Amino acid sequence: MEKNLNFFIEINKLKDMERTGLTWLGVKNPETVAEHTIICAFAAWVLGRLNNLNAGRLIKAALSHDLCEVYSGDMTPFWGILPEEKKARKEFLKRWICLPVKEKEARNRERFSTEKKCLLKLTGSLGKKTEKEILNSWLDYEKRFSREGKFARQVDQIEGMLEAIYHLGKNKRAWVTPWWEEAEETIDDKILLDFLKVIQKKFYGKKLKNYRQLQDILDFILEIWKVKKMARHYWNLRHVKKPETVAGHIFTLTIMAWVLGRKKKLNMEKLLKMALCHELSAVYTGDTTQYDSVLPKNLAGREKILKKMLRMTQKEKQRIFLRDFRQEKKSLEKLTRKLMPSLRREMLQLWREYRTRSSREGYFLSQLNVSAVLLQGLLYEKKDKNFSSAPLWEWAFEISDDPAVCNLLREMKKKFC
Amino acid sequence: MPEEKTFYLTLEGLEKLKKEYSDLKNLKLSKTKGEVPSIWESEDLNPEYLSFQEDLSFLESRISELEYILKNAKVIKNPPKEKQSVISLGAKVTLEDSEGRINEYMVVGTLEANPNEGKISSESPIGKILLGHKTRDQIFVTSPIKVAYRIKKIKYQSC
Repeated sequence: MEKNLNFFIEINKLKDMERTGLTWLGVKNPETVAEHTIICAFAAWVLGRLNNLNAGRLIKAALSHDLCEVYSGDMTPFWGILPEEKKARKEFLKRWICLPVKEKEARNRERFSTEKKCLLKLTGSLGKKTEKEILNSWLDYEKRFSREGKFARQVDQIEGMLEAIYHLGKNKRAWVTPWWEEAEETIDDKILLDFLKVIQKKFYGKKLKNYRQLQDILDFILEIWKVKKMARHYWNLRHVKKPETVAGHIFTLTIMAWVLGRKKKLNMEKLLKMALCHELSAVYTGDTTQYDSVLPKNLAGREKILKKMLRMTQKEKQRIFLRDFRQEKKSLEKLTRKLMPSLRREMLQLWREYRTRSSREGYFLSQLNVSAVLLQGLLYEKKDKNFSSAPLWEWAFEISDDPAVCNLLREMKKKFC
Repeated sequence: MPEEKTFYLTLEGLEKLKKEYSDLKNLKLSKTKGEVPSIWESEDLNPEYLSFQEDLSFLESRISELEYILKNAKVIKNPPKEKQSVISLGAKVTLEDSEGRINEYMVVGTLEANPNEGKISSESPIGKILLGHKTRDQIFVTSPIKVAYRIKKIKYQSC
């Protein structure tokens, strides 16, 4: 378990690692690698359904595709060829890469070998089976071994482009051009080619008919985009500087579920989907905490309450649970209203099982979620001695009885206390 | 399974897929019998790929996918000499943009595409634009801002 914990701590770095391409263009607060990964996983799952692809394989390919960046950094396709000087660099970035085929091949070989080494360094201590599973998912994405790997790779490119449009805006078309050029080189899946048209319609007013379903999916993806920019409310209340976002938290939990859930013989596809969906309601409710309704307005009073775990009667707990449950359900229903009915039902069911712990996956995930929050708290505490994780420890010990989760808690105690 | 379609492959690509198919069939047979598959000892196989195939559910779906592909595969042949000034599948194309930057692509079928290595699919927007054009033609990449290229050279590998 010590090795698993170290792995979780390492991948946490991706929540602070901003994507390089947009940073070079002077964009402040672009998405992090972790946030990008989570939207890729969602988009691959939802769009892949239209192609009858294996959702589990798609999600794993998306989750693993940038893990190597913990050590390699965000190696954009421009690595090694950008001018040093700022202005010249910006000018260079206005266009996609133009190179002879031989050079492209050599650069790709070098990048692949660097990233593979980094991935193996990261996963090497997880045990052969887990290491292999993560490596295989990454290879599937890299080498396009399966239809899912190929599809996930194309979705990855689209997510990056949407982020560029989001930040650079439709009025700065020139800056988004390299993303479009790359897309037009890379994408050949019929559904995704149509999706490109839908994006052009949405942002550039291209005339288009009969793509209702894809337009609805684009709207859904742009709605869940909000979780990339939404800081976790609890950390705000605790005065953490630059706290993780909701998407960042989803990233940690989903990877933890993948690694720890393997040994529990749970339905892995269901577990990963559930982890992706578990906080989606935040899109409309905002990120909420159990403290929200009890915090007084005065600062001293607030601080006093936040230092401890909330003590409530069973009746109060039930009342708050029901209130939150209804709000979150309403939010999810609104968010998924235009999705295909079967997908909508699935997402709502996954969320319900998580919230009510009514399946093995839901029971495990709800406990693991608290461990993920605690781990983040411990990392904040390590950086800032004024921050105390005490209430999170209380919460975790109260809620956890799953052996794998309890093992993880013990390991965290050993490491951090 | 995708809708009925033709898969264009280079001869080398087709041979590779045939070999993959027969290796995977052997692998599946050995797995069912619980034996250590002899193909593990082969030196010319990609160990990364074989490791990937250990997942039995993937193994089975890949075998049926390969059966479908091989049934619908068509080998890319170089066009006759007089038509080699026109871009078709298998062509290596050198392009020059308005600033004199040189870009190169090889137009291949979807199964062999790897844009990171310059191999672009004939079904991608750029692949579709290139097909049918001749040397000195001007083409426009259709992104929100049109990017113009002049086709400098078209080359086919010698068979």
